[in-house]
Amino acid sequence: MIDNKGTSARIRNAIIHLIVIILGLICLLPLINIVAISFSGSAAVTANKVGLLPVDFTTLAYSRIVSDSQFWRSFGISVIRVVLTLALNLVLVIPMSYAMTRKTSEFRFRNVYMNLLIFAMLFNGGMIPTYIVVKNLGLLNTIWALILPGAVPIFSVILMMNFFKGIPRALEEAAIVDGANPLQVLLHVMVPCAKPSIATISLFSVVGSWNDFFSGLIYMQKVKDYPIMTYIQSLSIDLQELVNNAASSSALENISELSNRNLNAAKIVVAVIPLLLIYPFLQKYLISGMTMGAVKE
Amino acid sequence: MYKRNMYKAAALTLVGIMTLSFWGCGSGSTSDSSTEIVTDPAERGTVTVTLGRQTTANPKFPSGDSYEDNAYIRMTEEKLNIDIQDEFEAESGDDYNRQVSLALSAGSLPSMMKVASKDELTELYENELIADLTDVYDQYASDYIKGIYDSFDGRALANVTYDGKIMAIPATASDAGTSMCWVRSDWVESLGLTVDEDGDRCLTMDEVKDLARAFIDGNPEQADHPVGIAFNANLTSSSSDGTNTINAIAYALGAYPKLWYKDEAGNLTYGSVTPEMKEALSVIKSWYDEGVVDNQLGTRTWDDITSLLTNGQCGIIFGSWHIPDWLLNNVYTLNNKAVFTPYAVVSEEGKVNCTHANATGEFIVVSADFDHPEIAIQILNLFYDDMVNDSALLEEYPDVASYLNEGVDGTARPFNIEVKSNTYLLDEYACLKAALAGEGTKEEIPTAEERSNYDSIKAYQEGSGDVTGWCKIHSRTKGVDLLAYLTENDLYNWITPVYPETTDTMNTSWANLQTLEEENFIKIVTGAIDLDEGFDSFVSGWKAQGGETITGEIEAQLEQ
Amino acid sequence: MKTKTLKPINNTGSQSRFFHLFVVPGMIFLLIFNYLPMFGLVMAFQDFVPAKGFFGSKFVGLKHFQYMLQLPDIGRVIRNTLIIAVGKIFFGMILAIAFAILLNEIRMKFLKSTVQTIVYLPHFLSWVVLAAVAVNLFNLDGSVNQILASIGIGKINFLGSNQVFRKLIIGTDVWKEFGYNSVVYLAAITGIDPSLHEAAAIDGASWWKRIWHITIPGMLPIIMLMTAMNLTSVLSAGFDQVYNLYSPIVYESGDVLDTYVYRIGLVGRQYSFGAAVGLARSAVATLMMVTANHLTDRLTGQRIY
Repeated sequence: MIDNKGTSARIRNAIIHLIVIILGLICLLPLINIVAISFSGSAAVTANKVGLLPVDFTTLAYSRIVSDSQFWRSFGISVIRVVLTLALNLVLVIPMSYAMTRKTSEFRFRNVYMNLLIFAMLFNGGMIPTYIVVKNLGLLNTIWALILPGAVPIFSVILMMNFFKGIPRALEEAAIVDGANPLQVLLHVMVPCAKPSIATISLFSVVGSWNDFFSGLIYMQKVKDYPIMTYIQSLSIDLQELVNNAASSSALENISELSNRNLNAAKIVVAVIPLLLIYPFLQKYLISGMTMGAVKE
Repeated sequence: MYKRNMYKAAALTLVGIMTLSFWGCGSGSTSDSSTEIVTDPAERGTVTVTLGRQTTANPKFPSGDSYEDNAYIRMTEEKLNIDIQDEFEAESGDDYNRQVSLALSAGSLPSMMKVASKDELTELYENELIADLTDVYDQYASDYIKGIYDSFDGRALANVTYDGKIMAIPATASDAGTSMCWVRSDWVESLGLTVDEDGDRCLTMDEVKDLARAFIDGNPEQADHPVGIAFNANLTSSSSDGTNTINAIAYALGAYPKLWYKDEAGNLTYGSVTPEMKEALSVIKSWYDEGVVDNQLGTRTWDDITSLLTNGQCGIIFGSWHIPDWLLNNVYTLNNKAVFTPYAVVSEEGKVNCTHANATGEFIVVSADFDHPEIAIQILNLFYDDMVNDSALLEEYPDVASYLNEGVDGTARPFNIEVKSNTYLLDEYACLKAALAGEGTKEEIPTAEERSNYDSIKAYQEGSGDVTGWCKIHSRTKGVDLLAYLTENDLYNWITPVYPETTDTMNTSWANLQTLEEENFIKIVTGAIDLDEGFDSFVSGWKAQGGETITGEIEAQLEQ
Repeated sequence: MKTKTLKPINNTGSQSRFFHLFVVPGMIFLLIFNYLPMFGLVMAFQDFVPAKGFFGSKFVGLKHFQYMLQLPDIGRVIRNTLIIAVGKIFFGMILAIAFAILLNEIRMKFLKSTVQTIVYLPHFLSWVVLAAVAVNLFNLDGSVNQILASIGIGKINFLGSNQVFRKLIIGTDVWKEFGYNSVVYLAAITGIDPSLHEAAAIDGASWWKRIWHITIPGMLPIIMLMTAMNLTSVLSAGFDQVYNLYSPIVYESGDVLDTYVYRIGLVGRQYSFGAAVGLARSAVATLMMVTANHLTDRLTGQRIY
């Protein structure tokens, strides 16, 4: 804003640049480390010799992933899950949040529904009762167990609602005067105006369901049905063993497990790629979503 | 009106779904007991059996096979006319416990599942969720299976008996035997020493020390730094046969480290905090001070110790009967003149103290709702009797035979447990010994593994020089032979430890207590801390940091 | 209702049918998957035995809640939860605010957008992935310990020491979220009228002074709003993160309410007790949320919901 000339300003500027760059590096280097591990030979990985560059460069881990059927099965389950969750979320959230923008004079039960939503956001029955419901509906071990319990992300409803509220009323009224019913208003006026925020809640949905591992842990009874993050989670080495890392007879067994670390690292890298592919969109819309949720103009 | 009705119908349907989905049809599974249940596999229809399976990360299945569809499962389904489906599959530990818990919470156990702890078994029994197997065990278990359980002097079945009822099929774990002192007998010969003058195959502690001293002085392979005896940084092991540990010395002095047992006064004791343990440490410490024990004690890794042996720096190692198969083989590979002889270390009374292994720590339970508990026993017979004793079965199912040869993981079987007699090792060896001596035949040897050992040994004796033959001669005709000798001559003094359930405090503090113990022991022996002060402060620290609480918790378990 | 003849121009009745139609499908899902399981909370007041079901199990009133208050574990777990959550909120906010202020000073477009791209990234990655990254770095032989050893500090058992585990949890969470959290603050800074800065600069105010007297006061409403919103998460110290990083050795310092409920109530099969702890936790969280909502309403005129 203001050009502050003079040496002290220059030094200050240099320090600021330095700090910002260091913070950037701190965020980046650990991620580079795991990529480097995935490209390193397992001996080097086991000996913890890998820093930021691969040691004994090899793509062996990646070629092993190519033929790992369980990995791709889980990957596929996650892809299908993300697509179905997204579709269901949008179909349920958009109309619901539009209805929630009405005043009680237009939609008498608006507050009743709103309170139901808020209460459901704050309170839950806990893992076991939810599990019992999912089980009794026969959803266990099906992809629906990963989708239906999260069909209505309430936070997204509130976000969408706030956005709809920001759309000028005049646009809506013009359509109503033309004889449009609320559904037509929603589809032809509101949705086109709300594209950015629809993108935002879509990305929330995608990131959330791709990253979730816990529902897989609870609702899937066999590894073959695990979504990708649950699968990755199940690979992680036993921390207890690692912490007690003293040399003992079980160390023999550990070594074989540890030398899989480069393979596991490669799996992690591949599992993150879908998110990296949509990251440009994430950056654009989720960040506007963040500001939208908090600083509403 | 029509519309209103429609709303009503819709609302009712929703309520219906909700009720069903929550309260479910929990009681719907109770069986109609009025009809006679047919138990003969050939006469009844196919029964669906659901299993809770404990799996492993790398089961080594041939391609196309899986836990639900593999050679073992196919054989079981065909033989017993059942259809096996996995209710859940999970690796042992938290993952498996979670699956069991979830299944339980919804009130639906699989027909059969593995239970990995006694407290869980007790809980299942108290909640009346598992079937009483007393009758089906008596009626269906083969004599061979019954013989296996009887070989544990009642310990195996007592573990699963509640109010006089057998509530589970117990897995078995046989006794490991003593930690032997393996000595390079070719060195003894070349140095002109005499070991074990009286020929009782036992050594006293002093004899061990003198021998180590003689090996250092004689240094038969002219090594740069001869070492008497080397030990692991973890000096003790909870397994009686602990390799590279001081177990043999401790046991000879009446100390049973890392184990819980009732002392003579009937008090529950933890072996590592006893005065006997202190004495054992003082012995090792004096050996260390005299230079008989490796002066780099504590910093050597497992592999380092192995290379001491292979380099010819060290000629004595403590360990299990089976170390020739996987550890001493390295010595022979580099030096085919090497010959070892195992000795037992005796107490002042001339006995070999040894602890019984935990006879059962794992169980198979049958759901109380399952109509055919006898199938569990039939599976037991099929895998732990027929498959062992009936060679025709493996000819009928070549897939299964190839599984055995290729080392497909045991988790592939419907029950991931071992059921073997407490003396199976000695029994099988007796047949091998007879065959080798020409008093029996190879065909009389009961297991495939022991038959292949027979071949290897024969080949070696005929001059093959093969490492496998050398290994099997050492592990069987020396190692197991020593165990058999100790048993036959009544030289064992058996101690039966208490194997407690994991207590709450153990969950949080056990790892720390173990570290405390291991660190202090090594410090005491190497002189980093004073023996008396160090041991006493370790004991009080151990008690204060949870040891006392845990002792109380285990006592409470025992009273139940 | 039918007596009211004075209505707005359009037909509210037929419209409200549409609105019902908009809301009901989602509500059905909420009823089944959110409200229905709440009946299960009944088990918190029972000695729930699965085989007997909710009707057959014995009611024991507040037994499990009383037991909870007596249990030393609970004190430890609550303390851990609060320390970890407050640590994350406090240090997370400080770093995010500082980073936003610094980033705003960067003039080089390329550098600014590159750094932004990098620091926002960890927020979008699952803790499953980041825990694996953290374990690689922080285990006894990991890169961090190698560096520490080489500069003479000596190895630290980050994952296995009760002295440092909480710091590791807080630190890695701050690392993951500070970039993303800085977004709102950056937006707030951009919203400050530049003429204020210009005037101050003409008056000879130093950079520090301007930050202190113009930038930070300008961000204050947002800071307060975010603080209030963060209050609601004081009882959730991050299940995914702790679950993927902890082990029994560090239960003493790292076990939080969510992991405790999971371990005791699910893996440990103490269904009723787990439900009681979960219920108590939800109740307090609700109270916090309502308080925070009023607070933000009073402070900033905005409501969270």
